[in-house]
Amino acid sequence: MSGSRATNSLALLAFIVASLAVQQVFSQIDPDPNSPTPVLLHAEDDQSRALVSKNDVEQENIPKSDSVPYRLGDTVRLFVSEVDLMPGEGASAFRVYARDANKRLYRFPVLDLSEVKSSKSVYALTVRFRDEIGYWEQPSETGDLQIVVTWRGLVSNPLLLGLGRLGGLKFEVSEGKKPGTYEGETVPESVGYRWSGDRIRFLEQATFGPTDALDHRIRRIGIRTWLAEQFGKPYPSPSNPYPEIPLKPNNIETGCPFPRGTLDFNLCVRTHYSMYPVQTWFFKEAFYGEPQLRNRMAWALSQLWVTSFPTVRQSSHMFAYHKVLSDHSFGNYRDLMEAMTLNPAMGDYLDMARSTKNNPNENYAREILQLFTIGLFMLNQDGTLQLDENDNPIPTYDQETVNNFTKVLTGWTFCNVGCPNSTLGAVNFKDPLVLNQNNHDVTAKVLLDYPNAVSRNIAAGLNGNTEMDLALDNIFHHPNVGPFVGRFLIQHLVTSDPTPAYVSRVASAFNNNGNGVRGDMKAVIRAILLDPEARGDEKTDPNYGKLREPVQLLTNLYRQLDVSSADGTQQSDGYVPHVSAYMSQNPFGAPTVFNYYPPNYVIPGTALVAPEFGLMNTGSSIARANIATILSFSNIPVDNRNPPNSPLGTSIKIDDLIPVAQADPTGNQLMDRLDQKFMHGTMSAAMRNAILQAVLAVPPEAPDFRVRTALFLIASSSQYQIQR
Amino acid sequence: MKETRRNFIKSAGCALGMATLASQVHHFGLMTALAQKLDVNGRRKGSLGGGYKALVCVFLGGGNDGNNMIVPNHNDATISNYSAYAAARAPQGLAIAQNQLLPISVPRMGGLAYGLHPVLGPVTGGNNGIHELWAQGRLAFATNVGTLVSPLTKAQYQNNSVTKPFQLFSHLDQVYQFHAGRSDTFSFTGWGGRASDLMTMGSNPNGLIPMITSIDGSQLFTSGQSTQALAIADAGTPLNEVLNPIGFGDDAISQARLQAFNQLRAVDRDNNYVDAASAITDSAIAANSALATYQEVTVPFPNTSVGRQLRQVARIIKKQADLNVDRQIFYVERGGFDTHNNQLGGQANNLAEVSQAVRAFYDEMVVQGRSAEVTTFMMTDFGRTMNPAGTGGSVGSDHGWSNHLFIVGDSVDGGDFYGINTSNGTPFPNLTIDGPDDATNNSANARGRWIPTASVEQYAATLARWYGLAEEDLSAVFPNIGSFASTDLGFML
Repeated sequence: MSGSRATNSLALLAFIVASLAVQQVFSQIDPDPNSPTPVLLHAEDDQSRALVSKNDVEQENIPKSDSVPYRLGDTVRLFVSEVDLMPGEGASAFRVYARDANKRLYRFPVLDLSEVKSSKSVYALTVRFRDEIGYWEQPSETGDLQIVVTWRGLVSNPLLLGLGRLGGLKFEVSEGKKPGTYEGETVPESVGYRWSGDRIRFLEQATFGPTDALDHRIRRIGIRTWLAEQFGKPYPSPSNPYPEIPLKPNNIETGCPFPRGTLDFNLCVRTHYSMYPVQTWFFKEAFYGEPQLRNRMAWALSQLWVTSFPTVRQSSHMFAYHKVLSDHSFGNYRDLMEAMTLNPAMGDYLDMARSTKNNPNENYAREILQLFTIGLFMLNQDGTLQLDENDNPIPTYDQETVNNFTKVLTGWTFCNVGCPNSTLGAVNFKDPLVLNQNNHDVTAKVLLDYPNAVSRNIAAGLNGNTEMDLALDNIFHHPNVGPFVGRFLIQHLVTSDPTPAYVSRVASAFNNNGNGVRGDMKAVIRAILLDPEARGDEKTDPNYGKLREPVQLLTNLYRQLDVSSADGTQQSDGYVPHVSAYMSQNPFGAPTVFNYYPPNYVIPGTALVAPEFGLMNTGSSIARANIATILSFSNIPVDNRNPPNSPLGTSIKIDDLIPVAQADPTGNQLMDRLDQKFMHGTMSAAMRNAILQAVLAVPPEAPDFRVRTALFLIASSSQYQIQR
Repeated sequence: MKETRRNFIKSAGCALGMATLASQVHHFGLMTALAQKLDVNGRRKGSLGGGYKALVCVFLGGGNDGNNMIVPNHNDATISNYSAYAAARAPQGLAIAQNQLLPISVPRMGGLAYGLHPVLGPVTGGNNGIHELWAQGRLAFATNVGTLVSPLTKAQYQNNSVTKPFQLFSHLDQVYQFHAGRSDTFSFTGWGGRASDLMTMGSNPNGLIPMITSIDGSQLFTSGQSTQALAIADAGTPLNEVLNPIGFGDDAISQARLQAFNQLRAVDRDNNYVDAASAITDSAIAANSALATYQEVTVPFPNTSVGRQLRQVARIIKKQADLNVDRQIFYVERGGFDTHNNQLGGQANNLAEVSQAVRAFYDEMVVQGRSAEVTTFMMTDFGRTMNPAGTGGSVGSDHGWSNHLFIVGDSVDGGDFYGINTSNGTPFPNLTIDGPDDATNNSANARGRWIPTASVEQYAATLARWYGLAEEDLSAVFPNIGSFASTDLGFML
């Protein structure tokens, strides 16, 4: 019976291995994600006034009182306590904001941070009273400013600071509410991640929207394990593979040889010559897909390495491009650079595929530098601009450099013969571009210059393939890449205007993943999502957060509300791109290579950096409210075209919310539930009261309508539309 | 931009109207002086556009290739002629055949013949395009205009002795500089917005909508410190629906929901982003009732993006009296001009759409009796390289610098080129690659990127002055205008 025993041992072994794996999954405990709230120390004799000392005062002591006004340009020390610094965390993790009586906002540069020796856990922030935003003129020396310190997305208590003279500004010192979402040590299965507010926040950053299932999963296994799990997930979801769509001729009449207007013709055009297959695949994957993090990264990267319909003509072309993004979302950035450089859709979009030594085209050579890797100006590791002796930014390259990169990248073209997907009569947009050395410029080139520049000089006479490698190495090792890409991804996932300290930590992970590898995207993703500036139940920094772009506004709302077909019986068909387009974002149809919005977009009338606000204006703000109405009270119906674009439709399901509304005619339980679900427990009393009034205007006999009323008001509110 | 104290006072409130009044009196005096000049059609300069005036910016996104919009159509050997043009572009297939060019005669060029891109003429099923307006004196071009910090020669370009605009040849930066009206530093505001900051209280004290309306989202050009544009959808959406929240009936439940919707924007403004989003929605709701009714335009507009955008502009101008505005600035945009490839078809298609839409808009203004009060002008990222990119059927051109810009309306002193002289003593550049007007440090890499002689701010100031911006406010709107000898290119009557 040895055979049988062997089988049993194998089974036992398999059981043990499985148990070990389960054990591993269940045994990890994440630390408290909440950073302490910084406290700005006040003067002993006036609790509303900041404690300030002239910088020349001996640093050992904290002065007891401060009732003198300061002057513009003074360099002084402010004192903060309750901050718990990580190694390397210093002045660039702090920001000091001031508001004057006209509500104008200023920011004073923080020059230094030091521990006060006589008083442990108190830090002195050296600050210069000179606005560094530059939107307004410098504040006038006519009275008090209200100042706050922010750190890791948290704001300190506000205090007064006299500029020129004391007085002139009054404010109430109010007690902020504590989110208090920690679920305690003694909950069963008390491992994993017990901070319910931060779980929702994390899922908003790392996926297309929280769901109850994912919330429970993170609750059980913790963030780090979930990340590891996501890094290993097959993609796309097995139930939603990339459609296999063949290459077609450029000419629609040839590609779809049916009489115009017939069903065959329309179906053929929709399948091959429109983004319909890509968009519906994308939304199904966003709504239901398992590899949420990879899909979310690919979506973010598609807004960095932009191509778009209608220049990218066929759905098969866009799928091939999207595969490159997916393949490299968790890989190395250098590999992504190369795969994108040789991607045919990109080669067509930015013209590298037709750039030859005799007829060069600068488009790709310029944009890979400007938009995809290093940007226009030399950066410090924390993403701030390096300045020359005259305080001017330092360009990373000039037109001459662009000319040289253009020459390096000449000679590449579509592989129309001899590659796996080469198709007679169609341009090969699936396999990477191939080199025609005869069209390659073999003169010597001089590339980017930076300290210890890699491959700066390219000798004459080399093969174009070798030169591309050298040139991509030259770009990849430029010190800008880490902060440039890191800041971009932070903006997409977490917050629009991260502190330099946060950018620096992420850039550091880009520069070295801990094992000496540069460009490891898993390390970058971990650094972004586990950073204390990202984590925590509630962020109170007035400058924290980001506007949900239309696509993510939709996916977050739908995922939170059990998105289904119009009749609620099955999955949605994913046909909502037109809804997003109505709010000014047509997925896979960015207007130009500059994406839907630039990363440095500043909200008009303010100095706030906020990329997604590029799509927010009077008209689109009402469009957003109108979509909130349709989503809450109606659905995306099955349409009667032939073929229908929306064969199943899309709707929300609120079966779990109706009983909550039914159980409590006061509406309070419903508000509690929605607060947790959509606002991660941070809904203010004022917001809650406003919504509750409208809910209570609906008779309790209509709990369904009560739920929908509350959903509309949350979905259309600025409070929700800003993810923070 | 850094706002001066005086400007803030002027824009901050009507109670402080004396300064505004003073500036208007000042400006009025200037207009009277100008009014003595007559244009070729006998129209008195400065006499047009008494009550209402509007500026309509048509932005050609991506950088329109000016080298194929205006082509020398003569054989004068002393100046770049058609042969010089063809030599630079024909081998790669980017030259427009001479017999296709739409003829214009240019007084400023000694009456020499130039040619416009053929699609600026009549289009089957459309209108006659803007070319026809040249001979009527209603279409002018500002030539060789571009971003500058101060005038510079080729030698100065090469030896870096004069500050250049930051990030030449980069789309976003050059777009921002056209919008901002300055090229020395990044600006938080645009020249349209700053002009509106200074003029709103004087001109539209009780306007029901902001001075600026954009049909293409919020733009740097339209942003001032106290001015934010109304941004609305194109005419594909009826004007009474562009800002109207749906789903609210008159019943008590709906009204309670509407009240909560509004109340939510009044609270939680401590986060700056929440505050900004709520402020934008507040402006939308505030303007919504002003747009509740409107009259349709009568001239047929093309059903293209730019056609629908200009049609929406025309609808608003038609109800100007209801809106209580005497001065308006509009922004529309047609993208797709970044023709690195397939330029022959691409630019033709795009320019045809622009020409058809601008002409329809002009004709509608004639019908509305506004053609002297409304001036349409072009802006774009930059010009494009004279030397083509690629060759054959897919030929295009790369990012350049200076460009030619059209201005259309009855207050335009049309039928001529306006600008500052280039190396050849005319405002039209020498088209020789690596020649005296080509910005290049290295002959081997020369592509024909013309160095501008007239700056964006000179072009813009000419428009802003006509619009009514006071002389004393020019430098507030265009901080570097003092770096240029003239503040008026002369194309406005």
